Amino acid sequence: MKVLLIIPAYNEEENILRVCRTIEEYSKEIDYIVVNDGSKDNTLKILEENNLKHINLINNLGIGGAVQTGYKYAYENNYDIAIQFDGDGQHDVRYLADICEPILNNKANMVIGTRYLDKSASEFQSTFMRRLGGNIISFFIKKCTKKKITDPTSGFRAADKKIIEEFAKEYPTEYPEPESTTCMLCKGYKITEVPVNMNERIGGQSSIRLLKTADYMIKVCLAIIIDTTNLKKKKVK
Amino acid sequence: MQLTLRIALIILTLIYLFYIFKSIKNKKIQISFSIFWVFTAFILIIAIAIPNLIQNISNFLGFTLTTNMIFCVTIFIAFYLIFNLTTILSKENKKNVNLIQEISILKKRVEDLEKKQEEK
Repeated sequence: MKVLLIIPAYNEEENILRVCRTIEEYSKEIDYIVVNDGSKDNTLKILEENNLKHINLINNLGIGGAVQTGYKYAYENNYDIAIQFDGDGQHDVRYLADICEPILNNKANMVIGTRYLDKSASEFQSTFMRRLGGNIISFFIKKCTKKKITDPTSGFRAADKKIIEEFAKEYPTEYPEPESTTCMLCKGYKITEVPVNMNERIGGQSSIRLLKTADYMIKVCLAIIIDTTNLKKKKVK
Repeated sequence: MQLTLRIALIILTLIYLFYIFKSIKNKKIQISFSIFWVFTAFILIIAIAIPNLIQNISNFLGFTLTTNMIFCVTIFIAFYLIFNLTTILSKENKKNVNLIQEISILKKRVEDLEKKQEEK
């Protein structure tokens, strides 16, 4: 089983080294690849000096484009499982086993690490606005695909070989997490959620700013509706 | 329409047409894009040469004023053009993203290979 962690990083000089070291400590068998999305700070320097495995994007692409680069890399190098993992230390390495388990047992094609499931004793349940936004998106996904995804904006996700191939070919780069989830649901892949604990950001700035939330919400919902009408005909067995 | 005005307009249109051909010759625009512009120039020339034609069409369609029809048609064409450009832009953007990703992955592979060679 080859497992790859895809770590998109944009201006993460404060966190990236610590994140990579915790992964190395956690397990020697898991590979990781940092995708440096044209950072303007010293992220690249840190990656090179410490010999961390990384791809350096020659231009800034945004989170979606960076993550897709990781999926392309995973596809070319024949990885069995690819896991998206944030470079800002929000995600906890201890949940990696949990998030892989449904794929290993053939129970799901894609697994989403969810903050809001009741079982997880998460100290960080994110702000009210974010939860509201998440709820609206998840409502739309439920209406369109008849499946419930509690935390559609979670960036902590694992994908099996089939999904890696799909993502390497086509990945919605504008509103990556909710849109790609919807696409995969429409194509008939199985998606499950496992509860995870997320830490509060230790340094750096979150990429979703509050002021942009409303604009983001409208476009995501529109994208979900369009995707479902587009894809319902082309289901995979 | 007065003769002097018509002559002035025709000269302007000819300059416009000349400029389009020059741009095609200098490879500033692709031929597939240029057809539209040549077409507009010809329509302009026809409209200036036979002023009654436009008037009659507008009367036939039921516009109160000829200018209304002209504005209406131009705005529609302009919207269509802008929309077309947005489509082209999106397509190019997608290709661009793909190129950046592939080049970046290739660069990593090359660097890895170079490192391996040095170790040998």
